[in-house]
Amino acid sequence: MASNNSSHAEGMPQLDFATFPNQIFWMVVFCVVLFIIVKIFIIPRMEDIFANRRKVIDGSISKAEEIKQRVKEIELQIEKELSEAKAECNNILQTSNDVMKSQINLALEDSKKATAELIQEAEKRLKVLRDGSDESIKKLSDELVSEIINKVTATK
Amino acid sequence: MSEEKTSFNIHPMDQFVIEPLLMGDKLQWYSFTNQTLWMLISLVAISLVFIVGPRKHQLIPGRFQSVAELVYFFIRDMIVEIAGQEGLRYFPYIFTLFIFILFGNVLGLLPYSFTYTSHIAITGFLALTVFLAVTIIGFVKNGLGFLKLFWIGSAPLALRPVLLIIELISYFVRPISHSIRLAGNMMAGHAVIKVFAGFAGAMGIGAIAPIFAITAVYGLEMLVVVIQAYVFTILTCVYLNDALHPGH
Repeated sequence: MASNNSSHAEGMPQLDFATFPNQIFWMVVFCVVLFIIVKIFIIPRMEDIFANRRKVIDGSISKAEEIKQRVKEIELQIEKELSEAKAECNNILQTSNDVMKSQINLALEDSKKATAELIQEAEKRLKVLRDGSDESIKKLSDELVSEIINKVTATK
Repeated sequence: MSEEKTSFNIHPMDQFVIEPLLMGDKLQWYSFTNQTLWMLISLVAISLVFIVGPRKHQLIPGRFQSVAELVYFFIRDMIVEIAGQEGLRYFPYIFTLFIFILFGNVLGLLPYSFTYTSHIAITGFLALTVFLAVTIIGFVKNGLGFLKLFWIGSAPLALRPVLLIIELISYFVRPISHSIRLAGNMMAGHAVIKVFAGFAGAMGIGAIAPIFAITAVYGLEMLVVVIQAYVFTILTCVYLNDALHPGH
């Protein structure tokens, strides 16, 4: 029907059953060849690529995990050192505070003693002065009395 | 060619005629035909894309390798998604089927090429093979349990005989719809392009309209050829899933 080169197709060439054995024969041949190519070349190649990629990805993920662990450790260490440093700082502060306090107390006591001595001395001198003044007043009043008596008697 | 050379000399079906190229002028079952030639070309193209393309095994794929990987893993994921992990056993067969149809469809869009997937003998044989394989796998995997596919346990008892008839009919219609869908789409698209081309030849300066139409239809066909290859494959996966898990 439609198997001649020069004539035009009448109806549908698809329904020309005379061509079916030929079509099916060649299709089976090519499908089998294609299947063998797929099985031998394509699938191993693609799976290989896929497995390689998976390996690299898994490797990177585990490496990242490792680094994460290390970061955590370092963080812990930093925290520990920080708390230690804080404690030491507190310690130093405390001791210097104590030292300062004791020195201040010492100085305070010294100055208290010194002032007490000074006050005592001043009191002593004041007493001496007061005693002295008492005597001179007496002397003076005595003189004054005698002079007054003298004057009174002299005028008479 | 000796017919009248008048205005409408359109022969849209000529492109589907099978002609022997080697081994004599008369078509024998072993003749090397134009169809055989295009199967060979698609085989070479497949080898180029899937073997020569990714030959460097790059970790980060280049353009060529990307295409191969995209197609490969697209089908692989599709099988897992539809038929589950057990479906992967049949991946080589389904992948072969897909690239055979896909390359036949796509290469058929080249001018002067021959679209072997537009022949009902080809698609029908493929669909029958799928049908037989799926039925055999169903019975081998599930024994008589495969018949649960037709006896729907989740439906009311009264409805089950009716559903049985419907399911049986739809099951046996599968290879027909499966094959005619593909061949019909391929044939129709190519015939339409050819008809518009015939108009263009007859219309002189007015040919701009049919040429525009050809461009549009060609664009549509680019879509259709890939989608039909995809549809054929996804239906195969669905049938396979029915065979592996017949209990719905």
